[in-house]
Amino acid sequence: MSDADLAPGAAALGEMAAGRSKDAANGHRRMGRITREAAVGYLFVLPVMAVFAIFVFYPLLRTFWLGLFRVAPYPTIPSKFVGLSQYRNVLTSPDFLASLGRTGEFVLLTVPIGIVLGLALAVLADARIRGIRFFRTLYSSTVATSVAVVSVIFFTLLNPTVGLFSYWLGIKGGNGILQSNTWALPAVATVTVWQNIGFTFILMSAALQAIPEDLLEAARIDGAGGRSRFWRVTLPLLSPTVFFAAVVGIIASFEAFGQIDLLTQGGPDNHTNVLIYNLYTSFQNNDFGKASVLAAALFVILLAVTLVQFRFVERRVFYG
Amino acid sequence: MNGQGGRPAGAHDGGTGLGGLVVAEPCRLSFEGVTKRFGDVIAVDDLTLEVAAGESLVLLGPSGCGKSTALRIMAGLETPTAGVVCIGDRVVNDVDAKDRDVAMVFQSYALYPHLNVRRNIEFPLRSRHVPADERARLVAATARSLGLEALLDRKPAQLSGGQRQRVALARAIVRHPRAFLMDEPLSNLDARLRTEMRAELAELHRRLGVTVLYVTHDQVEAMTMGQRIAILRDGVLQQVDVPRTVHDRPANAFVAGFIGSPPMNILAGRVDTADGAAEVMVDGGSIPLGPAATAALRRRGLPDVTVGVRPEHLRADPAGTLKVTVALAEYLGHEQHLGCRLPGGGMLTVRLTGTRSALVLGDTVALAVEGDPHLFDPVDGTRIDV
Repeated sequence: MSDADLAPGAAALGEMAAGRSKDAANGHRRMGRITREAAVGYLFVLPVMAVFAIFVFYPLLRTFWLGLFRVAPYPTIPSKFVGLSQYRNVLTSPDFLASLGRTGEFVLLTVPIGIVLGLALAVLADARIRGIRFFRTLYSSTVATSVAVVSVIFFTLLNPTVGLFSYWLGIKGGNGILQSNTWALPAVATVTVWQNIGFTFILMSAALQAIPEDLLEAARIDGAGGRSRFWRVTLPLLSPTVFFAAVVGIIASFEAFGQIDLLTQGGPDNHTNVLIYNLYTSFQNNDFGKASVLAAALFVILLAVTLVQFRFVERRVFYG
Repeated sequence: MNGQGGRPAGAHDGGTGLGGLVVAEPCRLSFEGVTKRFGDVIAVDDLTLEVAAGESLVLLGPSGCGKSTALRIMAGLETPTAGVVCIGDRVVNDVDAKDRDVAMVFQSYALYPHLNVRRNIEFPLRSRHVPADERARLVAATARSLGLEALLDRKPAQLSGGQRQRVALARAIVRHPRAFLMDEPLSNLDARLRTEMRAELAELHRRLGVTVLYVTHDQVEAMTMGQRIAILRDGVLQQVDVPRTVHDRPANAFVAGFIGSPPMNILAGRVDTADGAAEVMVDGGSIPLGPAATAALRRRGLPDVTVGVRPEHLRADPAGTLKVTVALAEYLGHEQHLGCRLPGGGMLTVRLTGTRSALVLGDTVALAVEGDPHLFDPVDGTRIDV
């Protein structure tokens, strides 16, 4: 209980004991003020809490609940309560495990490369040369590009008949990259990295600019060359940003949907059928029970990944 | 080896042992006609200055006078627009900061916040690929000599200002550089700690016998830390000399007003040599001149002159030749500063030592000047030598 909760009771007791003494009256007024302040505070957070409750907490709980029901293939037949058996069935199915594997691959293909590229571009753009603003704008421009636009552009570039990539790679006819079991997932991952690079670039640039010039100068005078300064001073000071980018990047990759839907629809042969896409198709097929289980699984996995990151990775992160 | 009472500073046989520290042979630093422009702004203007090997020279001036730029040029953090920079006998204009082998202490200390004290101190040693056991020995010796042993595992954020300052010093000392560059190293400390560290730095310089180029805007720091003081104004060197000379014989009115606390009173005057002994007529009265000063002004032949009188050379005297009104009194315990208004509106500062004066605000009082005043050219401010 907070002070504010205790306040009215304590003040009332004080009043009784002191027989409405002046002190007690003062105390009452003080406590009353604290209570009022608390009430005003709750009033301010109320709208946010209401929005969260309606659009986040309720759907979340509802999802877990829906996972307990088996939905019949026809809308007219009512759902049947099957309890945790549906969780067991879905979570042990080869279909789920396969899409989980794809998701893992997708995360590994997108997050590390995205961070390294974003950081590399930020370091390049940190140079004080004429016209660097142009490149800064260019590098961050993908932030302002929607995933649909990016997907359409890449879809055209990757098209086996008219796409430039096929032309450059000398592939004539046959299956395109997006139709290749081997290359479809890396291709979608590449699009994702490209799309996200602007955001990572902005994050890293801001963090780079926040590093005091003094430190890098001190390192220079202490005999550290450019590379040494980067590894021994810049990178450690960027570690909170890298950590943040990793957490956000992993979550974003787990939830990457638009580019997959627009480029491959989970194909070819389920090779890009990541967890979120699997969830979507289940939903499309009116299999709300399975979709809910997958959604719950996604939630738990992301929660676990984030907790693990905070628990173990953050220890190696330096906050100034 | 024991640091106390060891060899005299500056003795070298490829390195002097001092509390386990190896001290490199100190070397001279020199600027020869160095100019630095930032766009249209001239930060350093044709600076020629040499710091002798083992000397502690203070670059002094108000903020924006180019002293930090000069230091950064020596460190290799700025490239001079013109001129030659030497460390020892080597021209270093094209040598990168990391290869100059000078240490720098920053105003902000610039400690690496992610590294503990030990790693901060050994940072320059790691850059030079010093073997681990040697590193450990040097860090231990340096930490011992600066009283940092108990703090080695702490991060900079867990240290007080004075401790951070010490770590920054340790990081500079540990690598036994050829020279130390210090950029206002004490200005982030509170007054008391600053006085303490000032003494410690001076002691450290005496013990290590290294070359130090020290930048400050604080003239008290300059007077106490520098074997010589170089005063800069708007990028131009005004005077370089030992503290006593800079104080007693300032080269121009700017130096005169900058050195000394409270600052020297500067007044516009007109020479009257009608009778035998000359005097300078100023607002509020006149200042008598001795024979030498009279002769110098006669030789000069021009009537207008700028007069400088140190506050400590003024005293209340019924026979005094300056009439002023006491407008301000600051009692500092060991001395008292009086702000006295001149009839024309100007102020004169009087520094009284010893017993507290009986003067109260609003009193009209006569002031006498002890000895000859400083005389400067009213146009360019240069000293008129007597």
